[in-house]
Amino acid sequence: MITRTLIVGAGGLGGPIAFALGAAKHELTIVDHDSVEVSNLHRQIQYTALDLGEPKAARLAGEVVARGGTARGVVQQWSPEVADELGADVDLIVDASDHPTTKFGVADWAVANGRTYVIAAALRYGGNVFAGAPGVACYRCLFEDPTDAPTCAEAGVLGPVVGAIGGVAAALALGLANGDRTYAGALLAFDDLRKLAEPRVVRFAPRRDCPACARAPISPFAAQPVRVAENA
Amino acid sequence: MPSIRVPSALRTFTGGASDIEISASTVRDALAELDKKHPGIAAKVLGNDGAVKPFIRIYVGPDDIGDLGGLDAKLTDRDEISIIPAIAGGSGA
Repeated sequence: MITRTLIVGAGGLGGPIAFALGAAKHELTIVDHDSVEVSNLHRQIQYTALDLGEPKAARLAGEVVARGGTARGVVQQWSPEVADELGADVDLIVDASDHPTTKFGVADWAVANGRTYVIAAALRYGGNVFAGAPGVACYRCLFEDPTDAPTCAEAGVLGPVVGAIGGVAAALALGLANGDRTYAGALLAFDDLRKLAEPRVVRFAPRRDCPACARAPISPFAAQPVRVAENA
Repeated sequence: MPSIRVPSALRTFTGGASDIEISASTVRDALAELDKKHPGIAAKVLGNDGAVKPFIRIYVGPDDIGDLGGLDAKLTDRDEISIIPAIAGGSGA
């Protein structure tokens, strides 16, 4: 069965995610409104100087196709309305964006539409990857509001860290697509990849007043996971 | 003595240090002590109302402080406090 996957963001995270899922024969739609800049090249290694000024979504989709995959690029800023338009037949949505509002928006859209999803973020020397699925606590159950969440623009990021976090996000996405719910509803928090590659796995209960879960077609309150954090 | 594990995103306040030992009996006191040692860091974790910001979770060992009494959660000498923020990054310029 073909998995149709929507990737939001064609930058440092989106590159390795798209290559991995494309190689696994996912049918990709890649959304990004940005163009390639010289400052991107050190960590968005899917691009070269020949791509400067080109739209990232189209270029990344082209690279996936050149590697034997199936992808189309949509040069547009993500919004719930765009997701409604593009995501009607999507099985899985992966956030690889650089903006907290987009991450929460992607998670909320996925929960409301009963889709599996992955939220990936990298910052300084580490990152977070969240695996979401219908019927479990969601991203907004854990983090209630994106306001003031730290971003790369403020704190920077080490180039190779983005690739590593993107690889983890792709692995979790492949697992979810194959029905593996080992990490469904868990956040994998990588603190400092220069020192420790093992994530802290944070599992948590759904939040009763979560506005996203209130719109979920499958309630997460049917079977509550245990609230624990552990090392993987 | 309890310790606080400072997330990578906030280590600009601690000169890069990841683990800070703190003499405190509650999480609230620990954050206040941390701020004395590294001014400005508490404002990144707590809002103007003194509550934990909504994009941050705090754990004592494996337990969310929400299950332990919130910021008034008691600490023992061997406890490790972990601050886990939502972060955004990886795509932009």
